[in-house]
Amino acid sequence: MTPVGEIDVAPDAAGARSGPAVAARAIGLRKVFGRTVAVDGIDLDVPAGSVLGMLGPNGSGKTTLIRMLLGLTRPTAGTAELLGHAIPKESARALPHVGALVEGPGFHPFLSGRENLRRNAAAEPLLASREIPAAVDAALERVGLAGAADRRFRGYSLGMKQRLGLAAALLLPRRLIVLDEPTNGLDPAGTRDVRRIIAELHAGGATVLVSSHLLAEVEATCTHVAVLQNGSLVAAGELRSLLEAGTGGLVVATPDVELALRTLRGTGATAYRAEGDEPAVVVDGGGPPAPETIALLVGAGVAVHEARRHRANLEDLFARLTEETP
Amino acid sequence: MTATRVLIPADAPRSAPLGRLLAAELRWVLRRPRTLVMLGVFALFPVLIAIGVVVADRSAGPGAGLIGAIAGNGLVLPVAAMTLALALLLPLAVAMAAADAIAGETAHGTLHGLLISPVGRLRLVGMKAFGVLVVAVLAVTVIAVVGVLAGLVVVGGAQGQLITLSGTTVGLGEALVRVALVVGWTVGQLAAVGAIALAISSVTEHPLVVLASVLGGLILFGVLSAIPALEWLQPYLLTTGWSAGVDALRDPLPLDGMAESSLRALCYLTIGTALTTHHILHRDA
Repeated sequence: MTPVGEIDVAPDAAGARSGPAVAARAIGLRKVFGRTVAVDGIDLDVPAGSVLGMLGPNGSGKTTLIRMLLGLTRPTAGTAELLGHAIPKESARALPHVGALVEGPGFHPFLSGRENLRRNAAAEPLLASREIPAAVDAALERVGLAGAADRRFRGYSLGMKQRLGLAAALLLPRRLIVLDEPTNGLDPAGTRDVRRIIAELHAGGATVLVSSHLLAEVEATCTHVAVLQNGSLVAAGELRSLLEAGTGGLVVATPDVELALRTLRGTGATAYRAEGDEPAVVVDGGGPPAPETIALLVGAGVAVHEARRHRANLEDLFARLTEETP
Repeated sequence: MTATRVLIPADAPRSAPLGRLLAAELRWVLRRPRTLVMLGVFALFPVLIAIGVVVADRSAGPGAGLIGAIAGNGLVLPVAAMTLALALLLPLAVAMAAADAIAGETAHGTLHGLLISPVGRLRLVGMKAFGVLVVAVLAVTVIAVVGVLAGLVVVGGAQGQLITLSGTTVGLGEALVRVALVVGWTVGQLAAVGAIALAISSVTEHPLVVLASVLGGLILFGVLSAIPALEWLQPYLLTTGWSAGVDALRDPLPLDGMAESSLRALCYLTIGTALTTHHILHRDA
């Protein structure tokens, strides 16, 4: 036990000095339920201080991956680390610093929101007993539930339940917050609140791992993205560089869409009709440079009304990564 | 900006204080409406027997057996009530507490919250066993206390003394000691039921499965013990010694029946606790 402990402490100490470190790490994580492969050998680093958005269609293995990282589910193969500690072996070292909302908020219907949180707080190693009432009040206030704190959980709306689950993760300052579908059932105001809370956590230096199927949410709040598909990681990295990797093309607004497509395809470029009301074509990057493309179109008699850089958003990226190629 | 530090101090607390966890569990058990309703029913149980005995006594003279012995002899009531309740009601109460303790928490999605806090898995077993034991102690104590009071007030007789089944008379003090002995013995039997119920509770997320298994098991044990050809099974059945509580009403007090059934309960308790611990340590929560 002692030598293992020393080895594990060493990278921590180094990380404290050299800045960036890894808050959560999956190494070859794999989980098989019967004949279903839920997670198929995922390697993923969640950099300390980042907000990592985990994306993927339903059933892509997001929740199973999160549950393995938290030590709730035993991996079939591979290892997980949280804050530099092996999971589940050293869970007791890491988990006090981790707040999590996994698989929907779990609370007891016959207790009020405040009583439920007190019960959660009693189990938190880092909260002293005398700090509990204040910590519970602060968490309720932070998620906008102070007014309904003394109502029974049974009577809460879906959004209020979700807010209470968030409050449990925020009972004390954490180093890592894991939120599995935090905006489920929330109204637009609630979604904004979640976005604000994630931004506050990020500003305070905490690492946030958030899974979502709401791409706009992720694009608005995340610094990093990991995209899962059928239990495998299909892309991971900084949001900005992932988006930039998918650009370089042109959007050309023109009423002569057919002629433009024929001309462009004649040169071997990949071009397709743009979605939307305005008639336009999209030319993928990798073909001739933009001035040549425009000159080519004008030379062929295409009326070019406007040409601009094609800015990929997360939705395009996600669609490209997770949908079958047409 | 302490939050950006990745170094975790080696002396940081890794678990909440055990006392606080137990207090939280106790509060959770006692705030549950069904626990309170159940305790209320157990308080009514000896009162109903007392009224029944008094009414029967007036109309048709003393009945036979244990119930008949209560007539005019109030201090028999708590022992009789505990013995009757042990047949089905008390195991049901304990099974319900055990069902809520783990399967219920899993069903509500609260168990993984506890594990993430983190509450160590061994501590979780301790916390849950404590909660079930508290329910058993409370239920038996309620029957005993209300039984003594109802016995003295409603049934009365024997000048506050206990007439034993052997025909001798013992004083109030010794009678209360004997009632306390039966309380302790009954709690021991229920601890065995609770341990088995917790073991079932730790492998399912359906509380009903726990209730059905415990009740089904009791009925099965009853059937098995009624088949003469299976007499060799008797020493292994938990229910075999469940009438031993009545021994407290004999004089001199025979302790071998209660000792033997307590030993049997200890075996069940050990097996149940080992299974629960194994399940909790290895399950995906």
